[in-house]
Amino acid sequence: MFFHISMEKNMQLHPRHFGPHLRDKLVAKLMKDVEGTCSGRHGFVVAITGVDDIGKGLIREGTGFVTFPVRYQCVVFRPFKGEILEAVVTMVNKMGFFAEAGPVQIFVSNHLIPDDMEFQTGDVPNYTTSDRSVRIQKDSEVRLKIIGTRVDATEIFCIGTIKDDFLGVINDPGAAA
Amino acid sequence: MSGEEEENAAELKIGDEFLKAKCLMNCEVALILDRRYEQLQQMSDDPTNQISQVFEKSMQYVKRFSRYKNPDAVRQVREILSRNRLAEFELCVLGNLCPETVEEAIAMVPSIKSKGRALEEDAIEKMLHDLSLIKKFE
Repeated sequence: MFFHISMEKNMQLHPRHFGPHLRDKLVAKLMKDVEGTCSGRHGFVVAITGVDDIGKGLIREGTGFVTFPVRYQCVVFRPFKGEILEAVVTMVNKMGFFAEAGPVQIFVSNHLIPDDMEFQTGDVPNYTTSDRSVRIQKDSEVRLKIIGTRVDATEIFCIGTIKDDFLGVINDPGAAA
Repeated sequence: MSGEEEENAAELKIGDEFLKAKCLMNCEVALILDRRYEQLQQMSDDPTNQISQVFEKSMQYVKRFSRYKNPDAVRQVREILSRNRLAEFELCVLGNLCPETVEEAIAMVPSIKSKGRALEEDAIEKMLHDLSLIKKFE
């Protein structure tokens, strides 16, 4: 789920940037440093939408750098265990399939795919029901439930399931072809 | 982290910080990112080296899964959903997934039925109906 939250960060700025455009420099540096990062607590920082407050700077002894506490608003993407969301299938193999929901990768193991869906090898590996009415392949859109998350230093990785009511394929690119 | 263990969106256990935070539906994120993308393009001649992968992937994702495209419809959706005293998180799951039946809505957001909430099935049905009308007339 995407959230709009307020966060704080201490920014260090080199004295050469001091002048009438100090604020602009600080905001530009903030965007460069923070956007695209990921933490286990807040998830992926997608975009900064505004800077609320820049506190008083504090000169660091010895270096001349100044530290400013900056409070800003941003859009983050944070997956939660138990959350249901839609995702795009990116890769299918006999172990299961990978899907992407925005910046986050989700793996659905073949144990968590309904039992009546069988893996089919070929040019386009896929999972298909025995009556061939439902198929999961690359670029399919699926609705899945997150059942576990693993947090890395720079990434969040999820395990999902489609073995539940109202979960599964919502759009099949192969059906139209 | 002991808090991590108890996390469960189905029971609305998503941590205080996120529970109080403002959730965004995919269509709302699409509007925000669109505006931001324009800003970035104006700021530099070559926007590609400014845009993070996270931004790009998020933008593709929300565009693909936005149920409502125009800003007025998005505003109406939020208004209808917020009449029903839903938590922010529940509101956004419903807005994103657009369930068609009451049963489906409860499967998507189990917390709306738990802990003796006053939300009747009739109310849920009316809410889903109103949402489908917006979609139809958009």
